[in-house]
Amino acid sequence: MFHSIPQTVTFALFLVLTVLAILKRMGRIRLPLDSYVYYLWAFFLFFAVSDFLSLKVGIWVLGVISFLSLREYFSMVDIRLQDRWAVLGAYLSIPFMIHYIQIAWYGLFIISIPVYAFLVIPFLITLGGKEIKGSILSTGIIDLGLFLFVYCIGHIGYLALFATFKAVMLIVAVALCDINAYILKVYRKPPPERFVLLYAVTTPQTLVLTWVLSPWTGIPYEHSVVLGFLIPFLVAMGRHTMDFLMADLGVDERNLRPGRGQVIANLRSFLYTAPMVFHYIRYFLT
Amino acid sequence: MNAPAGKSLLCVFIHLFLLRSLLKLFFGVNILGRENFDDLEQFMVISNHNSHLDILLLFASLPRKHIPRTRPVAAEEYFSRNRILYKLVGYLFDPIWIVREDKDADPLGEMRKALMSGQSVIIFPEGTRGEPGHIASFKTGIGRLSESFQDIPIIPVFLSGPEKAYPKSAWFPLPVWNEVIIGPPHVCAGDCYNITMGLEMTIRALASTLASGRHTRPVSHKNDLSLAVLGIDGSGKSTLSQELARSLSEKARVCLVTDDLELYEGGKRSEIQPLFTEKVREAVGKYAKEAKSLKHYKIPKLTELLLRNHLLGQVRRWYNPEIICQDGSPLLNLTAWSTLYKGDAVDAETCADAIRILAGRDDAPDRGDAIYSRFPELDAMKRAKLTSMWMPDAVIMLDVEPEISMDRIASRGERVQVHESTEKLARLRDGYLMVCDVLKSVFGLPVMVIDGGQDFETVTASALEFIKRTEEERADNGNRLH
Repeated sequence: MFHSIPQTVTFALFLVLTVLAILKRMGRIRLPLDSYVYYLWAFFLFFAVSDFLSLKVGIWVLGVISFLSLREYFSMVDIRLQDRWAVLGAYLSIPFMIHYIQIAWYGLFIISIPVYAFLVIPFLITLGGKEIKGSILSTGIIDLGLFLFVYCIGHIGYLALFATFKAVMLIVAVALCDINAYILKVYRKPPPERFVLLYAVTTPQTLVLTWVLSPWTGIPYEHSVVLGFLIPFLVAMGRHTMDFLMADLGVDERNLRPGRGQVIANLRSFLYTAPMVFHYIRYFLT
Repeated sequence: MNAPAGKSLLCVFIHLFLLRSLLKLFFGVNILGRENFDDLEQFMVISNHNSHLDILLLFASLPRKHIPRTRPVAAEEYFSRNRILYKLVGYLFDPIWIVREDKDADPLGEMRKALMSGQSVIIFPEGTRGEPGHIASFKTGIGRLSESFQDIPIIPVFLSGPEKAYPKSAWFPLPVWNEVIIGPPHVCAGDCYNITMGLEMTIRALASTLASGRHTRPVSHKNDLSLAVLGIDGSGKSTLSQELARSLSEKARVCLVTDDLELYEGGKRSEIQPLFTEKVREAVGKYAKEAKSLKHYKIPKLTELLLRNHLLGQVRRWYNPEIICQDGSPLLNLTAWSTLYKGDAVDAETCADAIRILAGRDDAPDRGDAIYSRFPELDAMKRAKLTSMWMPDAVIMLDVEPEISMDRIASRGERVQVHESTEKLARLRDGYLMVCDVLKSVFGLPVMVIDGGQDFETVTASALEFIKRTEEERADNGNRLH
């Protein structure tokens, strides 16, 4: 069943997260990052299914994660009656993105959202109604959600297409940064300080992690070192940016619940990291 | 599981395992304050109403034991349009059907019976689905019920989300999270009016809690002022309505509905996207103008007026104006024109009844009334459900002698329409004046009759002064209500 150590490690992590998620659900344990364990579990479900069954099937788990985060985003932003067709278009772009990953059509995967979807969405807004004022704002709102929660998360799927363990490394490194962010309570600190503190504390840990995992990810040591520096920087950058956006959306960090920022808060560290790490690996290592 | 008569075990099973799962998977539901149902055997749930999802969400928030014995109140005429939907809603929710069109029936009678038999009820005190995201004033039914059943607690619920997930007039639902915020049970005392006001305030307070806060942009003019300028052909009403739209647009967003559809902002005409209904109306209007006799004029003109009425709804929906300035009013034109076709058969009382019927008001005469046999057009329109015409908020009548009108029409150099003769215009003028009298005396609408023979500046100044006064009165009334 297990053909390699990376596969075994992936499955072991999946089992551990499954047990933690079940215990949490039953209320038997209290985890420091609250519902974060469910999202980590969902990513590892994707990896486990991809490794042991097929990526074509597993990728749908990523589609569900995209759907949940996009649904939460659209629940919090102000959409007008005439934006509904465009919002529907944004939801429908999820299966398209998944299909391009399934058939490994990189060319279309990379342009489908920033070119085609971004051209179609304003068109759908104009078809949906007659109100001219606010159309630019609506286009921006819908495009941003589509970009962050479908396109950026989609890169984790395409990275898994190169090698599942590369994506596992990314998720584990980001989770490490998130755990640090929680322990340091960075969200209580003012913006520049939280950014620097998080980067300074997590970089040594991610450096060790990427170095140690290097033989299993297939990423050479020198590039693993670069990624060790890059990932915490991108996590800090992503968290910093998303904290601003979430504050504008009215998300109360102390009172997160599904539909009111919980999904986005748990995924915010992956949004900047996934596309940047993917393109680094694709440019230098494929 | 104990399922008393009303809903079968299968129905309860569908609620618990199918409807709740579908709601959670597709939309997402947060229920806050479910513990407020604890220890209650019977209750009245009241909630704001924006969407068809509301009833599903309220049932999803009910404790299991209350599903079989809780009944929502629903409008029968709305659901009975589709037989399958009617049967399905009847099976799943066992609603207390209210026939809004039946004036003799006591709408609270069935609710009282249900409460007396130990059932709980769900009531939407706004009466119908309102504008998305806005809570309309509560009707006093809930106050009257509460007066009679003071020992049954009222649970106020605020629903946030369905107005985005599946609002009124949307073609399809969208996956958007919904929040059901359940307030503590209220036991109300006092008179019906105070109870109603108190409950409305409670729901508004729930709406303003942090739990229901959302990202919003500051654009909305739902309480628009609809203004109609009436007058016979050649009275100068088109010129006046255009000038009023331009002047009023210096402070507000004004939509002018005349032979063309125009939008004015900042004192200037601004670009708008065309509406399909407007194009059809234009073509029909052109066809009507070319009619050679009153008989041939009737149907195209009626169609044109109905399309113009439909257009008013479209204008509100898509252009979001603060003021709608109409050159004529489909409802009032139709009523005034009846004098041209029916002559002396139209008196003030008939005129008032015709307005009530055409505007779809609750106090309109019932089907059996003699007015329907005297005016089969009204009967046909009621049967075709074309009786929900927009009533303007204020009316300006430009009164001009038919002779002066004829001179003006002749000076335009355009083709003279079939009704443009001194004698017919005189009858039409009498019709309009009667409509104005009725609007003022029966419906209490602000109406101003201006002598159209005066110079244009004086006419415009008087009209603007009247509009200013009307707006101030509306603002005063609004403040008094809130």
